[in-house]
Amino acid sequence: MAIPLPAYVARRRADWDALQALLARQRSGTLKLDALRTLDTLYRRASADLAHAQTFYPGTDVHRFLNQLCGQAYAAIYQPPRERWPAVRDFFRREFPATLRRERGFVGASAALFLLGILLGAVVVLWEPRGAELLVPSGVRHYVAQGRMWTDDILSVAPPNSVASGIATNNLTVTIVTFAMGITLGLGTLFMLVNNGVHIGAIAALCAREGMLGGLLDFIAAHGPVELSIIVIAGGAGLMVGQALIDPGELPRGQALALRGREAVKLVLGCAPFLGLIGVVEGYVSPGDLFPTWVKAGLGIALGALFWGYLLRAGRTDAEATDMPADSAS
Amino acid sequence: MHPAPTPHLDVATPERVALTLPVAGIGYRCLAWLVDASLLFFFWLVAYFVFTLLVSDVLGVLQGLSGVAQTLLVVGVFATQWLYWTVSEVLFHGQTVGKRALGIRVVRVDGSPVGVYESAVRNLCRAVDFLPMLYAAACVSMLLTRQHRRLGDVLAGTLLVREERIDLDKYAAAPAAATPIAQAHAQAAGARPLAPEDVELVLSFLARAPGLAPEVRQRLGARLVERVGPPDAEARAAVLASTESTEAFLRARVVQGER
Repeated sequence: MAIPLPAYVARRRADWDALQALLARQRSGTLKLDALRTLDTLYRRASADLAHAQTFYPGTDVHRFLNQLCGQAYAAIYQPPRERWPAVRDFFRREFPATLRRERGFVGASAALFLLGILLGAVVVLWEPRGAELLVPSGVRHYVAQGRMWTDDILSVAPPNSVASGIATNNLTVTIVTFAMGITLGLGTLFMLVNNGVHIGAIAALCAREGMLGGLLDFIAAHGPVELSIIVIAGGAGLMVGQALIDPGELPRGQALALRGREAVKLVLGCAPFLGLIGVVEGYVSPGDLFPTWVKAGLGIALGALFWGYLLRAGRTDAEATDMPADSAS
Repeated sequence: MHPAPTPHLDVATPERVALTLPVAGIGYRCLAWLVDASLLFFFWLVAYFVFTLLVSDVLGVLQGLSGVAQTLLVVGVFATQWLYWTVSEVLFHGQTVGKRALGIRVVRVDGSPVGVYESAVRNLCRAVDFLPMLYAAACVSMLLTRQHRRLGDVLAGTLLVREERIDLDKYAAAPAAATPIAQAHAQAAGARPLAPEDVELVLSFLARAPGLAPEVRQRLGARLVERVGPPDAEARAAVLASTESTEAFLRARVVQGER
């Protein structure tokens, strides 16, 4: 039989206050082991009290209070494993490359879209020279018309280090947007990939027509392979999200989306430090004549090979190596 | 239980008790964002003014900085834009400064705290939620989804729950002063026990009574006595003689046990 509400509160309140105090200490990280055991006991008691309140005092403040208290204690007790430094090491050593290999179909599709964009841009500008007015930014066109590389000026208006940080942050933004656009059924990612490809293709074609292809290659040789790879990988992550939205499989759409979103963001997080590093190369090495073209090209090829070697080999297990051909349909 | 007026997150715990957490709506979320955004804004404003106070030739100093310092500066600006959210949500159990000020918290859809990946997803998606301007896409998404989730929340499988400040002191205040006369009246009236809703109603009134205007206090007290009071008119008149006797009666009435 239920006792009156005030008497019930008076009798049980000490436990609730104790639980609240323990939760506050747990948040600040000063909880000892024996206190943790008390927390567990008190949480179970509060759960029982909540069940009691649900039956006998529904809709009262006590009910709401216990609900909230149990919610906080539940969150404190059933915590997901904490990601700390060993987890970060493990992420880059094994998880990031393994995720990429597992989702290589999406990265491949992303690369195909990007190449399609490049081809499209190049073909349009080569066939119809005036197409460049549409596809190439006017600033770049202005420079090319004068027969100079626009990249030469990057160095003359700002010292190389600020260029490096500016480029790194800009590339990070492009990578983030390409990934996040996946939520628009993948259409935004598709647009970002093709659009960026068309720009690059159009600029390359314009430079080729004006006889400056050598200059362009000289500029992008060092950082191009890795940087474009990263954008392609982010595009793959965006396409994963889009695919989960369009075809969630056997899961409800919301669950499938959350599951795939977690996987996809690993690709983006994994790329972030490499994007920072390649930004340094783009800022220091690529512009100007500090390094001869063959050094830049060699560096670019070496970095690209290292990057992809890491992605394809790192943390690879025997099981993965054997079932690699088998699950390629997924 | 009466139907929930606001959207809720239902969590089934291993202890076989269903938790029902209130979900934070668009208003809370916009306010929390405003707090965070103005915090970041004022941080840079203050940083800038301190900097200009300390050095007179700002441009010269900036150009004279070493490469590492300049890179750090630009990356720092970038970091506040993207990392502030994720780092504080991971370190402070799903709360940024603004969310803490508003008493809301990011949790997964199963009620557990957010991890690095979930937080990263929902904050990277700000790039899309912000489109076309000022989080318009996020607002539309929050209005259309049942639990007020923006696109980033949908993708990350997270939502925001509200934490209220609930004061249990009003329950403690009741049994303190129950005079014998009031108790006798309550005994007379107490043929039937009070429903929890009535107890809640009476306790809320008693907690607020000292702050009410005298005539309002009397009128509300009379209506409550009518609801929970003694059935015969004579006893009721005695109870209603003064505000003190009314409230003493109500106080005695709520602590009265079921036989």
